Amino acid sequence: MKKQLYEDLPNFKRNKTPVKKTVGQIIYIIVGTILSLIFLFPIIYMLATSTKSESAYAASAGSLAMFLPDFANLGEAAKNYGNVFSNYGIWRYAVNSFTYAAIVIVLNILVNGLAGYVMAKLRFPGKRFLSFMIIFLIVVPVETSIIPLYSIVKIMLGLKNTMSVLGVILPATISIFNVFLFMQFFGNIPQEYEEAARIDGANTLGVFFKVILPLSKPIVATVAVFCFIGVWNDYLWPSMILPYASEGQWPLYPIQSALTTIQSIQGITTGEIMASLIVTSIPIFVIYVLAQKYIVQGFGTAGLKM
Amino acid sequence: MKRIFNFLLVLTLACVMALCSVACDNGGTNDTDAGEVDTATGNTIVKIMFHVDEKSTEGQAYKKRIEAFNTAYKDRKIKASATYKARTVGAAGYETELLNNQVEGTLADIVTFDAPNTAAYADSELLYDITSLIPQDVQNDFYSLNTYKGKLYGLPIQESSAGFFYNKKIFRELGIDVSAYTVDNPWTFDQFKDVCGRLKNAGVTPVDMRIDATKDETATYLLYPFIYAAGGEFTSPDGYTATGYFNSAATADGFGFIKSLIDAGYTSYKIGVTDFFDGRVGMYLSSGWTIPDLDNKYKAVFASREDWGLLPYPKSVNAASATGSWSFGITNNHHSDKSAAKELLLWLTSAESSEAITTATGMIPARKAVNTDYEAGSPEYTLLKQLETSGRQRPVTVAYPTFSTCFNQVIAALGTGNVMELLNTQASTLQREMDNLKG
Amino acid sequence: MTGSALIIAAVFVAGFVGIAIYDIATSRRRKEKYRFGTVATAYLMLIPALVLAFLFVLLPILYSLGYAFTDYNLLKPNNIKYVGFDQFKKVFEEIGEKGTLYHALINTLVFVVGVVPLQIGLALLLALFVNKPLKGSKIFKVCFFAPVVISLSVTSFLWLQILSPSESGLLNSLLGIFGAEPHDWLRDPATAMPCIIVLSAWQGCGYQMLIFLSGLTNIRQELYEAASLDGAGAWRKFTLVTWPGLRSTFIYIIITVFIGACRILTQPMLMTGYQNHTVTLSYYMYQQGYSYRHVGYSSAVALLMTIVIGTVTLIQRRAFREKN
Repeated sequence: MKKQLYEDLPNFKRNKTPVKKTVGQIIYIIVGTILSLIFLFPIIYMLATSTKSESAYAASAGSLAMFLPDFANLGEAAKNYGNVFSNYGIWRYAVNSFTYAAIVIVLNILVNGLAGYVMAKLRFPGKRFLSFMIIFLIVVPVETSIIPLYSIVKIMLGLKNTMSVLGVILPATISIFNVFLFMQFFGNIPQEYEEAARIDGANTLGVFFKVILPLSKPIVATVAVFCFIGVWNDYLWPSMILPYASEGQWPLYPIQSALTTIQSIQGITTGEIMASLIVTSIPIFVIYVLAQKYIVQGFGTAGLKM
Repeated sequence: MKRIFNFLLVLTLACVMALCSVACDNGGTNDTDAGEVDTATGNTIVKIMFHVDEKSTEGQAYKKRIEAFNTAYKDRKIKASATYKARTVGAAGYETELLNNQVEGTLADIVTFDAPNTAAYADSELLYDITSLIPQDVQNDFYSLNTYKGKLYGLPIQESSAGFFYNKKIFRELGIDVSAYTVDNPWTFDQFKDVCGRLKNAGVTPVDMRIDATKDETATYLLYPFIYAAGGEFTSPDGYTATGYFNSAATADGFGFIKSLIDAGYTSYKIGVTDFFDGRVGMYLSSGWTIPDLDNKYKAVFASREDWGLLPYPKSVNAASATGSWSFGITNNHHSDKSAAKELLLWLTSAESSEAITTATGMIPARKAVNTDYEAGSPEYTLLKQLETSGRQRPVTVAYPTFSTCFNQVIAALGTGNVMELLNTQASTLQREMDNLKG
Repeated sequence: MTGSALIIAAVFVAGFVGIAIYDIATSRRRKEKYRFGTVATAYLMLIPALVLAFLFVLLPILYSLGYAFTDYNLLKPNNIKYVGFDQFKKVFEEIGEKGTLYHALINTLVFVVGVVPLQIGLALLLALFVNKPLKGSKIFKVCFFAPVVISLSVTSFLWLQILSPSESGLLNSLLGIFGAEPHDWLRDPATAMPCIIVLSAWQGCGYQMLIFLSGLTNIRQELYEAASLDGAGAWRKFTLVTWPGLRSTFIYIIITVFIGACRILTQPMLMTGYQNHTVTLSYYMYQQGYSYRHVGYSSAVALLMTIVIGTVTLIQRRAFREKN
């Protein structure tokens, strides 16, 4: 009796009949589908537009037809997607974005994870001051212009030409909020795990890599996914600091920066722009779908006490 | 309470430190040298930065001209080296690069810039005064020049102008004959209204004046000639006074004309951006860049040039039309010897280069010497002729960005507001900014 | 630049050493000694984060704040003069004369008051919805999150078409079925801000939904069971079990949504442009700092904004905590 209660609660009363359950399920699906459409319509629109020629796009603008693909002329879709890959060399920028994202994710987890571990588990002088600084920097959103950051990267650190890739990676590596997330999550890991490892002769760094990180998959996944989305969607900063590659060179631009540049080239059609946006959104979706279970756990266990 | 105190303490500390940081950072590098010389070949290197993507048609055209320059000047030991920094949509990327190069002391010898920036760049000494470097006969050959306070700071690459594209099919069906309205004999404000009225009576939306395009420079660029045509002005000739100009009676007449079109239902904020291309609107105010779109993109409505044409700006007290261009300027960088840069500048703005570049881009050549083979009456011909006879630049002022915002705000509120009130408010905003920049 | 950065770094290191010495001194009194080995490893492991945070988080903040006391013009970077509180004087003058800044202030306030409850409410409802153990919930969870992932420029472009003022505009033609006149949603001061509020809430609520969801999964099932045994209905279960269980999640969400709302920039920029009825504080700062090139003035606005937002968030934290 009690076990059954566990399974049904909190969403259903104990005495629901199977019929009621089926009706509930049907209503749930209907409501959910309507809600989903409200949230998905940009994607539907992008997909539909990516199949259209410029004049078909102009004809459909403003009417419901803008959400429907141009069935009469599906060859246009193939042309749009084909052009995106052949004419503008999108795949090279995609490789860049993946590379930047991978490096940022690894460094971000290492740097912020280590800091979060120290803040959560070790005792050292100045800790209270640093905790205060972390909360301060999260709670007080200082409005900064991008100008000083640009000067720091370009003039003070002198990161130019190929080295300016570091200007994309390094600022994305540090995130005070991620330090805070790690700190909260690690704080909830019982001390016994660590002590067991120490008895086996592990040093602090060993404990971090062999015990703490493997126990923290949810938070690591959360940080990784948001790092990825951040790097993948950023366009303003990279296009400011990266040099534009001359012909024959491998370009340094990540995908979104390249897309904004490509969009400013005269002659690209709206359909092609949408096709390129669809292509570049796919990786984010795949990664989000794969990792969403962990994200919920990650935020949940960290506790997010501010 | 203690936390708030802590917070204020940290903030104060931060301000003090930030202050000292600024105090320590005065003074840049002021050392000058004659010019960069490649020791291996003995070539003087002239660096140039373009605002377009290297792979675009425009970028490719520049690239060819640079290569030709390097071949031609091989014996004179001058070599041009180009970088391309695309000016992306909405991003301040190109200008940021320019300004930071200025701080770093790595400014290229020649840069491209948008004509309305002339005053600000000249005033901040980013651009070098080239009045004496450029021969007078060369200067006279340009349709427009980038001058500020009587000095020359840049030479245009190519020109643009705008006009009223119209749907010939609709005009033919309604029996509206506009063939008499040419650049030499432009239509008047009243004749313009008359045509609009006949379109409206026939149930066609008369004209898309882009009064909805107040988010960027579009509305300003397309509509400012109306104010000049009505005899109005925006600023004093030195660009530091707006009061009495921006809100003068003649300026109000110009804006009033646009308002009367809105009031009569001839144009509105509600016309969709693609409505003209879909055959729903009679006329469409736009720049020359619409020509290739009409030629290629909208075959269903505009099969050939038999279906559309281009009319000039209407006139009132004066005839006035839009001009706009990106220009080349020599920078005020640490290379004190500008002779090599001058050679490249003259090369890139020569009639030959002007022709090569505009052939690729479809814009209007910046120099009169270029022989264009536009057929009389063709849209390109109309734009060129209009530029020659009535082209007038946007106001030259250091406060240009604010001018642009003020103009946009007037246009956006024109439908509901009182013209004089709007102009008074914006004139005082603009005047305040000008005083700010002067003092 | 490097010189001033080194000075700031030195000040920081000195300050930190001072605090550390104070900590050590007090720990002696409390007889909790620090172990040298642990302290050394701790510092070593902190170094990468500290260096990067100093360079890319703290320094930009300090420089920005510093510019507020100068006449920094973007075009004249080699000629920056200290002007004391002149920029702040201008800020207050602008507010006093009911200039654009005054409108920006009011609009931001309206936006915050509108969007915070709407976005949080939507997020909570969606979270409760997908938390049901029914078929399809996993797919819906992905769908609701979609707008978060798509770039703002794409969604704004789309909303512009929906809210198009022409008769054939999507919303207008829908309302036209019920006989409504076409309306210029974004140019009418009465409807522009509400439209921006709705689209912002729509775009952002998926993220808060996920966080609420993580809070929900943390609530122990026994509590619901106990409530059921007491005969509590769905609403009472929500007020007695779910809501208290979500309190710490809620504090976090309200603070982050509030901060995000105060900084709204992209939506008004892409939807209406720089107009008095939709300009916000961040947009005003952007326009002044980049388009008009008054970095000094823009930084002064930023500094004042930081103080206001910071104070409000600290008060929020306090208020919600005490109830706990």
